[in-house]
Amino acid sequence: MKTAQALRVLGPGEFYYKEKFGPDTVCRGAVLLECEWDGGTVEGGALMGVIFRSGDFRGGTFWGGVFLGGTWSGGVWESGFDHTGRYRPRTDHP
Amino acid sequence: MAAVTRPRIVIASPHRYPDLARLWFRGVSRGIVPSLQEAGLDVEVVIFRDAHVDEFLPEWFPGATLEAPGPGVRDFLEFYDAVLGLDSDYLFLLDADLFFIDPDWPSAWMPAFESEDVAAVSFLRRSEEPGVYALLCRTSAYRALPKPVFAPAYEELEDERNTVNRQPGDVAARRLRDGGKRILYADATEAETRVADFHGTTVIRASREVFGHLIDGPVFEGLVSRKRYFAMGAYDNALLGCLYQAVFGEPFAAGPGGEPLGGSVTVDVIRRELALISDPELKATLETYFVRSDEAILRLAGVEEGEGIEGIEGTEGTDEITGIDLKLPDLRPAGWRRS
Repeated sequence: MKTAQALRVLGPGEFYYKEKFGPDTVCRGAVLLECEWDGGTVEGGALMGVIFRSGDFRGGTFWGGVFLGGTWSGGVWESGFDHTGRYRPRTDHP
Repeated sequence: MAAVTRPRIVIASPHRYPDLARLWFRGVSRGIVPSLQEAGLDVEVVIFRDAHVDEFLPEWFPGATLEAPGPGVRDFLEFYDAVLGLDSDYLFLLDADLFFIDPDWPSAWMPAFESEDVAAVSFLRRSEEPGVYALLCRTSAYRALPKPVFAPAYEELEDERNTVNRQPGDVAARRLRDGGKRILYADATEAETRVADFHGTTVIRASREVFGHLIDGPVFEGLVSRKRYFAMGAYDNALLGCLYQAVFGEPFAAGPGGEPLGGSVTVDVIRRELALISDPELKATLETYFVRSDEAILRLAGVEEGEGIEGIEGTEGTDEITGIDLKLPDLRPAGWRRS
């Protein structure tokens, strides 16, 4: 039987550097620098140089990272790379 | 009699901030452009405004072509490929925070292109590959490559231990070599005296602009003591700000209220954050880098209107160069090496 885990919310004003986040995380305004994102939801904030392994990107800014997997539902794509390693310029989100 | 067609060269540089572009263009328009013209080239300068498009005042860039993001040229990395498509025989890509102390150095290398297998000359590289920091290209060689030509890329992403991040221009350089072309490299020691290059100056300003307002000021400023590249960018912006103030009488990288360096990190904050660095290896690396940057900005100030640069022919004792006696800001905490 699965046990529901508490949702971790990364809120406005918070800053994370070189940390990893799993599926039970939602970003609602925090800034993540050179972190790894694996499974959670991004609703707002800024992801800079982040490895996005899986999850749903719904809002916020993605800048200079690698979008390895997951879903792009909305937000601002400033720059980054897709799962093939190809560079995608501003607005050219996966 | 048929008109003689001069070889054409485009000097291209992407900029996010108009003040840095103003300082950069001042040096290029006074130095490299007339030097290349004297060498028999038809010269055009193209500046890409990656952001703050309306803040690039045309009177700051007389004679230059100012480009802006649009379809097919969505950001500065696509600009490199777009400008390759312009009508020119040579393309000279220059970084936003790179300045030639010796303006005749690029034209002195033009005869190298008489060898048909020479595809480019790199005046400054920061890794094994030539980069696009100061890359003088034969356009026909680069146009023959698959597109996008200059784009960065990740390779071997599926194997994390072997993943490689190819910087802009790296893939093109490898393809050229594979095709039997050569890229020449200027001597690194010589470049130290002929080029003034600064690192990370746009990154820290763009970071402050994009996410600095989302977190507390001290948290952002703390990155100076945590990330080497931020420390370098903050330090170099303070030096460039010093020169900019001396040349134009205006603040550089101003914050929302107009305060000098408020759009980067102020002098007091740099000193405070550097004092927090306890890693001796990082401290030593930065000390060496800062000495190099001090020397670079002083050389740049020396050719502003000054006495010239000792050892560089044509700049010593000339009337045109009087130099600026620049007093550098006190950026290093007590106990840090100063020279």
